[in-house]
Amino acid sequence: MENTTTDQQTPLILSGIPPEAQATLRGIETKKIRYRRNLIIAFAVLIILMAGALIIIGLDFKFMVKWIPFILAGIGYTLLVSFLAISLACILAVAGALGRLSSNPIFNSIATSYVSLIRGTPLLVQVYMWYIALPQVGKALEDLGLTGVQSIFTLPAIPAGILALGVCYGAYMTETVRAGIQSIKIGQIEAAKALGMTSSQAMRRVIFPQAVRVIIPPVSNEFIAMIKDSSLVSLMGVWEISFRAIKIGRRHFQSLEMLIMAAMIYWVMCFILQLIQEKIEAHMARGDRRTS
Amino acid sequence: MTQDLNPMVKVTNIHKVFDGKHHVLCGIDLEVTSGETIVILGPSGSGKSTLLRCINLLEEPTAGSIEVDGTVIHAGENSKQRDSQILDIRKKTGMCFQSFNLFPHMTVLENIIEGPVTVLKQQKDQAIPYAEELLDWVGLTEKRDEHPSRLSGGQQQRVAIARSLAMKPKIMLFVEPTSALDPELIGEVVEVMERLAKEGMTIIAVTHEMHFARDVADRVLIMEDGIWLEEGTPEQIFSHPKHQRTRQFLAHIL
Repeated sequence: MENTTTDQQTPLILSGIPPEAQATLRGIETKKIRYRRNLIIAFAVLIILMAGALIIIGLDFKFMVKWIPFILAGIGYTLLVSFLAISLACILAVAGALGRLSSNPIFNSIATSYVSLIRGTPLLVQVYMWYIALPQVGKALEDLGLTGVQSIFTLPAIPAGILALGVCYGAYMTETVRAGIQSIKIGQIEAAKALGMTSSQAMRRVIFPQAVRVIIPPVSNEFIAMIKDSSLVSLMGVWEISFRAIKIGRRHFQSLEMLIMAAMIYWVMCFILQLIQEKIEAHMARGDRRTS
Repeated sequence: MTQDLNPMVKVTNIHKVFDGKHHVLCGIDLEVTSGETIVILGPSGSGKSTLLRCINLLEEPTAGSIEVDGTVIHAGENSKQRDSQILDIRKKTGMCFQSFNLFPHMTVLENIIEGPVTVLKQQKDQAIPYAEELLDWVGLTEKRDEHPSRLSGGQQQRVAIARSLAMKPKIMLFVEPTSALDPELIGEVVEVMERLAKEGMTIIAVTHEMHFARDVADRVLIMEDGIWLEEGTPEQIFSHPKHQRTRQFLAHIL
């Protein structure tokens, strides 16, 4: 840390800047260094206080360590549900955005109602809808003479969870994708059209590749949020992280330890995803910062 | 032989009304023969750019008809066949914009082969040799693999010209191609346009580059408030303008 700051400082001093300006520059530099140092101290104090608090309330660390492997075994379900749900959400979001931007009244009204309905209802209610209300719809259809529908509409917990999360996030991401597409300058579409491209060619070759760059940060945020919301599938008895933590916590009357551990595991996963997101963004930004 | 009889571009009684109230083009006629270079001058807001955008149907004319190389489009019609005719006209027509509009996510070479590959369905390696030839022609061979953001405005506009030429158009439309450029970068773009005119390309240009109008144009037309004010050879327009308004306009920009 210290080394890099002095390295950056040297060329400034060397490059023939008048002394009075150098003094100001040095002042700015020392302020930066002081700020960084104070920030590190503040974080350290915060961490010590938190750890201290955990020790004071008498957290049973031995108990936590004992159950770590069991809780960690739930990561698989958490990731499985999140990955499949975000994939579904991406597909729905692109279709939804094209619908929202479509001049076709059928596609447009379907996409608009989808976004409005899903965004206007709690995810918790939607999860139950897919899991325990959908079979009733199946039964009603079966009674109308569609044999076999009830068994199709009676979903196991994991598919129901993936559908609930995917459909819900798809609605939010529809607006993200739509905004991304609309952020591309009209000149790009005109240039594509002037070359003789059809609307779909222009969308595929010119608009969408540029929109993807714009929407990667918000979509990564959605994915991080989804990792956490995937805990809702515990309501249906899927053995993912929070379900395991709650179960063990209740059984041994040590919910605090288990919940703190589950929270930490989510935090670490999100932290890793955030690092990956930063890497992808840096990669995407390389070479072609938009100017025109 | 018939080519000489039929104009390359024939605009007949074009009207354009924006938002139901702004009458921008008021019955414009224009004929351009193959190989001709036309420069359109006029105060800003007079409808010059709109006319060019109507020729390749980026702007839908409110009334009138457009004919480019034998393909005719009438305003106000609607059919599948018409849509494909519009694409047909756009393939034959290159357009350069004031703001270049290069595709920022592609390299210079990818920008140039984009039309041939996506629109004309050529293989990539089939399209690259001609693209490289064009790149050499606009003097930017060394920028082949750069992204547009690394190029100056003048270089970007020259790439945009090469991108249009890759479609082997019959006619080039220039919409204020140098208006967004720093003064020292204008020359390189005008030079490319001059060479293009000398090689026999049919050109319609809206530009304030008086050198280009005077030295290269076969005909200069002055537009004001959506109608032609005056038309003639550069000599006639610049030395003996007939209209008082033309004189005022030229005095203003020269």
